[in-house]
This record gives sequence, structure tokens and C-alpha cells, in this order.
Amino acid sequence: MPPMTSSTPRFSGSCWGIVPWALCVSAGVTTSASRRTLDSHADGVRAVGRPYITYQRWASTGGTVAGDTVSSARLGEYRRGPDVARMAGGVVTQNSETQSSEIESTAGEGAAIGGDDISEETAQQRKVRFESDALPFLDQLYVAALRITRKPADAEDLVQEAYVKAYAAFHQFRRGTNLKAWLYRILTNTFINSYRRKQRQPQQSPTEQIEDWQLAAAESHTSTGLRSAEVEALDRLPDSDVRDALHDLAEEFRLAVYLADVEGFSYKEIAEIMDTPVGTVMSRLHRGRRSLRQALERYAIDRGVIRAGADSTTQEVGP
Amino acid sequence: MSCGKQHEVACQQVLADVYIYLDAECDVEAKQRIKHHLSECGACLREYGIEQEVKALVARCCSGEGSPDGLRERLRAKLDAAVRSSQQEPSR
Repeated sequence: MPPMTSSTPRFSGSCWGIVPWALCVSAGVTTSASRRTLDSHADGVRAVGRPYITYQRWASTGGTVAGDTVSSARLGEYRRGPDVARMAGGVVTQNSETQSSEIESTAGEGAAIGGDDISEETAQQRKVRFESDALPFLDQLYVAALRITRKPADAEDLVQEAYVKAYAAFHQFRRGTNLKAWLYRILTNTFINSYRRKQRQPQQSPTEQIEDWQLAAAESHTSTGLRSAEVEALDRLPDSDVRDALHDLAEEFRLAVYLADVEGFSYKEIAEIMDTPVGTVMSRLHRGRRSLRQALERYAIDRGVIRAGADSTTQEVGP
Repeated sequence: MSCGKQHEVACQQVLADVYIYLDAECDVEAKQRIKHHLSECGACLREYGIEQEVKALVARCCSGEGSPDGLRERLRAKLDAAVRSSQQEPSR
């Protein structure tokens, strides 16, 4: 496992391409505004980082989130080729066969990924190992819980419950695999299976077929009135407005956008965490980001950061 | 959306896949194709820039609040209780 510290509990995986692409693209940029957005995004991505991925087991065994959903889509020639091992930043584990059924059978509270001989481990030893490996993610998981529940007290309850469950299942976790994603999955499942029930909130189930977002895809990119110059103005929004805009999204969209944009998880990882096909992740990301752009625009108009109706065809809220 | 010019790859096609490009989820060939399109189509590049900016904005603003004071200690106490509980039961 790569070295971690409590202050920066990030895996040292590669950024596999975002930054170089952004810089490559910027070479062809014709406006300074565009160049600024490209460069600033490169910084943003670099700050977020990428966890390494060790889900090759799932991909190599044709698990439930293999790329079939994506490849059946109109993506066609854009079909992405990289297998998970390639995206994993070089982290490869052994014994990668015959794991998918095991994972599926234990998917309820995080995958059981046996392998290391830890049967002799005492409860105290396991606790020490858990504290050194899993607790460094506490701050990150708390923020994720806050994004999910939207209330600090609820977030603390959720993250504590998730950690207790993770500890109870920790003997099943295979060392060297993606602990961060495993913990996020348990957090998500804990919310879905028990916490949301306590909240008595019905699950928001937006219809989300891959064809949906494909048909809407090109249209959606003109569905908000934001222009390049106005996007720069969004930097003047207080952080709390951006968080509120994210919180305004439906649960599935909010979590998908959070996992992708804040945590830097890959589509495959998000699919595993949310227990959905990759195509559904893409659909949620697409719709979530589209809604987020509209919400940000509304906040910006309310703050007077941008003018309403400047060049918009679909603004929903006036000044 | 279209800039009105003829491109090897249509603007709509590129914009439909812009998130996949943005999220580094497309293969090398698609990446090159989209990159080439963006280099010659200002309209698509602006759209791409907006998406990039919003993604970076979310990353910057929605992370890093940290956990409340005492959460780590409260969690450790819960885990201690879980250890005691597991020691009283037969091991799995």
C-alpha cells in the first residue's frame, strides 16, 4: 500500500492524463479565458488527485460493472478501452480470477475480498490495523457523509455507523485493494439500507436510461445560460453557495457528482460504490452536472455575480 | 450546438462525449479525436472550458471541511466497544 498520512490520506495513484490533456488542449486555445479555465482546471484536478484502482478483479472477471453498458451505447468509436488494471496506476494484485461471484454475494455491506491469511489475527490486532489503515479516511468520509445527509449531526451518525460496520467486516477486506472505495461503498450502503429508512425519506428514483442522456447530451450543453465569462464569475460565489447548489441535487445525482468531481473516483469505482451499472453512473453524472450548472447560475444571479438573461435561453429563475 | 463549420467529428458528437473526455474515461483514439476537435472549434472549446471550470469549482468548494472536534475520539470509543463485544463472542 502506498504511504499515507492522516493529513493527506490520498493514494499516490497517477492522474492518468487529465492534466496533460488539459495542457495539450490549451496549446490550441484561442482565447485567454479558455486558457484560464483549462489551466485552472488542471490545478483543480491535481489538487483532487486520483485514488489508485484495484478493481481489476471486477473488470477482469466480467463483473457486474464491466464496460458492457458503456460499450453498448452510442459511444461506439469513442468506446473507452482501458481496463481497470490500466487505470489502476500500476497497482496489480494477484489471484484475480473467480472473484465476481464472491463480491456479488456479499455486496450488501461492501465486498468481501478474502485472500491474506488474517485468520489468526486477534480482535485487538485487527483494531490496530483498522485504525492505521481506515481511520485516516475519516475526514474525507465525514465530508462525503455531509454531502449525502446535508446535516452535520446526521453526517456524524452516518459516518460512525459506517465505520463500525466497516470494522465488523474488516476481516473480509483484502489488503492491498482499494480501501477507500470499499469504505465509501459501506458508507453509501449504510445510508441506503438503514439511515435513509430512519429519515423516512423516499428514495428518489429518477428514470435514467443511457439512451436518455445520449439523446439529451448535445442539447444539454446549451441548456444553461452560462457563458465562459460568467463561469469565471462563479469563482466569486462563496463556497457555501456551491455546496448548497450541490445539495440541491437529487441524492443519486449529488453523490455521483461528488464522487467524481471531489473524490476523483473513476466511473467504474462509482459504479461499485453506488452498486449501479457504469451507464447509470454516466447518466447520473450527466444529469447532475447539468442541474448543477443551472443551480449555480441561479445562485450567481441571486448574488448579483452575473446578470440574469444575459445570453440565456433557458433560465428558470429571474432576478 | 454547432459552430457552423464542417469538422471531421461533428460538434454534437464531441459535446455528447465531453464528460467522458473531461473525466479521462475515454480511450486514446477518442481522446485524440476530441482534442483535435477542440483545438479547431472555439465554440466546443468554450463549452468544454465551462464544464472544466464547474468541475474544478465543485472540487474546490465541496471538500476539505474536516470532521468535527472529537469525532475521532468518539469513533475510537465505539470501536473499542466493538472490540470488547467481539472478544466476548466466538471469533468468526
